[in-house]
Amino acid sequence: MMTCFSILTRRTRRVIGGGLLGVCALLWAGGAAWAKAPVVPQPATAAVEAAPAEAAAAPAKPEHKAEAVEKEEGLPQGAPLLIDTRIHGEPIQVNSSMLITWIVAIVLIISAQVATRRMKDVPQGGQNFWEWVVESLYNFLQGIIGPSLVRRTFWFFATIFIFILSLNWFSLIPGVGTIGWGVPNEAGALTHITHPLLRGPNADLNMTLAMAMLFFFFWIVWALQVNGVRGFLMHLFGPKGDTKGFMKLLMVVVFFFVGLLEIVSILFRPVSLSFRLFGNIFAGENTLETMTALGGPWFGWLLPIPFYFLELLVGFVQAMVFMLLTAVFTLLIMPEEGHEHH
Amino acid sequence: MFIAPILADAGGSLLDSIRQTGEQFGSTWPLFLSNCVSFLIVAWLLNRFAYRPILDVLEERRQRIAASLENAEKIKRQLADAEAQRTRILQDADADAQKMIDEARTAAQAQAQTREQAAIAEAEGIIAQAREAIALERDRMLGELRREVARLVVDTTGKVTGKILTVEDQRRLSEEAAREIAA
Repeated sequence: MMTCFSILTRRTRRVIGGGLLGVCALLWAGGAAWAKAPVVPQPATAAVEAAPAEAAAAPAKPEHKAEAVEKEEGLPQGAPLLIDTRIHGEPIQVNSSMLITWIVAIVLIISAQVATRRMKDVPQGGQNFWEWVVESLYNFLQGIIGPSLVRRTFWFFATIFIFILSLNWFSLIPGVGTIGWGVPNEAGALTHITHPLLRGPNADLNMTLAMAMLFFFFWIVWALQVNGVRGFLMHLFGPKGDTKGFMKLLMVVVFFFVGLLEIVSILFRPVSLSFRLFGNIFAGENTLETMTALGGPWFGWLLPIPFYFLELLVGFVQAMVFMLLTAVFTLLIMPEEGHEHH
Repeated sequence: MFIAPILADAGGSLLDSIRQTGEQFGSTWPLFLSNCVSFLIVAWLLNRFAYRPILDVLEERRQRIAASLENAEKIKRQLADAEAQRTRILQDADADAQKMIDEARTAAQAQAQTREQAAIAEAEGIIAQAREAIALERDRMLGELRREVARLVVDTTGKVTGKILTVEDQRRLSEEAAREIAA
């Protein structure tokens, strides 16, 4: 098997800007020289310096599995590892989606810091934009979960929305998912990238699961803070309605089982949240790649364009859905009087 | 008692399933934890640099706008009060002026009437004096006329009769002539 380092030519036509083109050229030049030599299984530490770790570690995996992955069209389900090593015995892994996560995080933090460094009474430029975003989100969430809960949880839901939206839209920049490593076909042409250098973070289950599990953790914290342990358990298992006598006893039993079902439902929320976001974004990336492949060498740039608009919409909708669902889940565990405004 | 092995078996299958799913989707503990940390760092820094300062500014601006609106309302009320006061003052001044005009007019009318009455009285006095003077003049002229007629009667009688009239005749003729003239 031959692993080479190059650029997927049909999608790089979408690359905009000299910087990315320069990076492409550098990668292509390095990869072209490397492609001439067969890849020899290397220790993981060497792979960190020379090549993506997953490519280097591929021979260690079962051979049929690796072939199956590399022959598949579309993105691999897992984001390729760029660094996989151990420092002082601790595993250190960096995959292609984390690069975008860090880039987007840095851009967001710097832009927020610059915008709010010298706040003016009459906002302009970045301050105006950030004020618009924050105020709109705050008012929107306040209308859903109420003023007291939004004060406590705004930092989380706002970050969820802004971060997911930024990651989704950043992942649509040409070059993401199209620059990386692949296996040339029999004719020697590289038509499919199996190890992209950059990959959309929400097309990586690690990111979506991380956000879902963090929400799960904070959801429990907020629920316990507001309800207390007893109130929390009563909210789950306590009988609702005003019944007396035998009916009350029956309701206690019924609502105990309802509570068990509710717990199952709650435990599956991180799964549904993470896989919903992952599935939508992963499918979108695959759609773009498929459309590019369908377009062939001449129309590969044209066919994905309508789907880019679709993916812009999907990116926004998924960010909104994730935020709304987490907000509503949080609202549902709050005491009933907290729902009055809703 | 017999449920425990079933649950343990189910738990084991579930864990295997989770592990297989994780492997299939490239999910590992280091990547998962690093993503958790990345998200928390982003959330913390955005909260520090964006949400808190912006929400503080928005709250401050909201309070300032509320205070400005309250001030504007206060100023509006003060303006309305001032307008009402101005109107009242103008109305008072107008009433005072009207009163003064009326008083002046009344005074003028009274003075005019006084002057008119005085003029009338003066005129009447003048007329009365004139009448009195006329009457005196008339009496005086009548006296003179009587005397002249008496004298003429006496002279004529003396000349006609050719005798010299006595003082008694002259007095009698004069008195008769005066009576005739007075009649």
